Amino acid sequence: MKDDTATEQAADRAELINAVGLHARPSVKLTQLAKTFDCRVEIALSADGPWVDAKSPVKVMRVKAPRGAVLHVRTFGKGARAAMDSLMSLVRSGFGEATDRPADIRHG
Amino acid sequence: MTPALLHRLIVAVADDVIAHADELTELDRAVGDGDHGINMKRGFEAVRADALSTAEKPLPDALKAIGTQLVMKVGGASGPLYGTLFLALSKEIAPDASNLPAAFAKAVEAVKARGKSQAGQKTMLDVLTPVQLALAEGEGDLPARLPDVAASAANATIPMLATRGRASFLGERSIGHMDPGARSSALIVASVCRALED
Amino acid sequence: MPNVGIVIVSHSPKIAEGAADMVRQMVGDNVNLAYTGGDPGGGLGTGVASIRAAIDRAWSEAGVAILVDLGGAETNSEIAVEMLDADRRGRVVVCNAPIVEGAVMAATEASGGSPLETVRRTAEELSPQ
Repeated sequence: MKDDTATEQAADRAELINAVGLHARPSVKLTQLAKTFDCRVEIALSADGPWVDAKSPVKVMRVKAPRGAVLHVRTFGKGARAAMDSLMSLVRSGFGEATDRPADIRHG
Repeated sequence: MTPALLHRLIVAVADDVIAHADELTELDRAVGDGDHGINMKRGFEAVRADALSTAEKPLPDALKAIGTQLVMKVGGASGPLYGTLFLALSKEIAPDASNLPAAFAKAVEAVKARGKSQAGQKTMLDVLTPVQLALAEGEGDLPARLPDVAASAANATIPMLATRGRASFLGERSIGHMDPGARSSALIVASVCRALED
Repeated sequence: MPNVGIVIVSHSPKIAEGAADMVRQMVGDNVNLAYTGGDPGGGLGTGVASIRAAIDRAWSEAGVAILVDLGGAETNSEIAVEMLDADRRGRVVVCNAPIVEGAVMAATEASGGSPLETVRRTAEELSPQ
């Protein structure tokens, strides 16, 4: 079978369901996860881009996607599909954070 | 340079700075946050306390010890600058101080690099630079001349506009006040020269 | 190669500690982290001795990135680095970045195993280019 790891790629998207969207800690978690993969990882807020390197903490932080936005992800290279599964899990879990809308969160 | 002379120099400079701490504070209140006097006093009290043991060392090591004390204890903006002056001098100076003009020139360059500044911005460099030039020219009786060179240079900072350091935030309001760092360097130069003449 | 260590130097002990808390909470524990704030007299400011101690605490063979706030923190950090042993001096950098965001970004980069220059460059992406 032809070795297609160099051209392995995946594309998917998921809605940001956590309260703060892609701010602060979630963006750090996303970057940290992306960095564990050898393949290239990019994110965007639309299928047409602009695409941003998900391994760059500052670039990801600057995306500033709010709760409800759809995060598009694409991966290229060896392990691209496994990486995509992992990244989608993180996003779909709300980055392990509260998913209530900020106004819904009761304090005190 | 004997330990006795070195001790006299250290004590003279430290005592003079400590004695003028209030004046330095007043000058700094006008253009800065008013801590130059307190900071310099703290640093030179530490230098004064170690004067005997420091004076036993060869000149380069003594200057290094003084520079280290100043860097650690003075704080503020002037700690790093005075510390750098003495530390750089300690690296360049010959044990018998025979290369003082060249060593002092290197030390002043180090202060410029540390503070990312130069003469003309209303800082201690406006005293250190003319002093360094006078040393380089080597004309006349230097211990007699240098205090005047330094004092005139410090006075010359009064009408200057500060373009570096905290005073620069005052803009035009920095005009009409002597720069505190210029005053303290002039003090130190005068102190050294007086102790050498005695 | 272990992860690059991070040092936070602020004029304020509270800011230094708070920034370190944010780094720990957002980035996790796999980065050596040390912080210092306050001058030798106990007021707002910075001191060479405490910066040196912080560098020692955060030391990593991969090097250390220092985040600073205002001028004095940068100057005193530079002096502290110059006072290190020759073999360590070349592996410490002072970043030109905002202190809190820079620390979080640098630590994020470091937690991924990036080398010192990459950690510095990431923090400095936050500053005007």
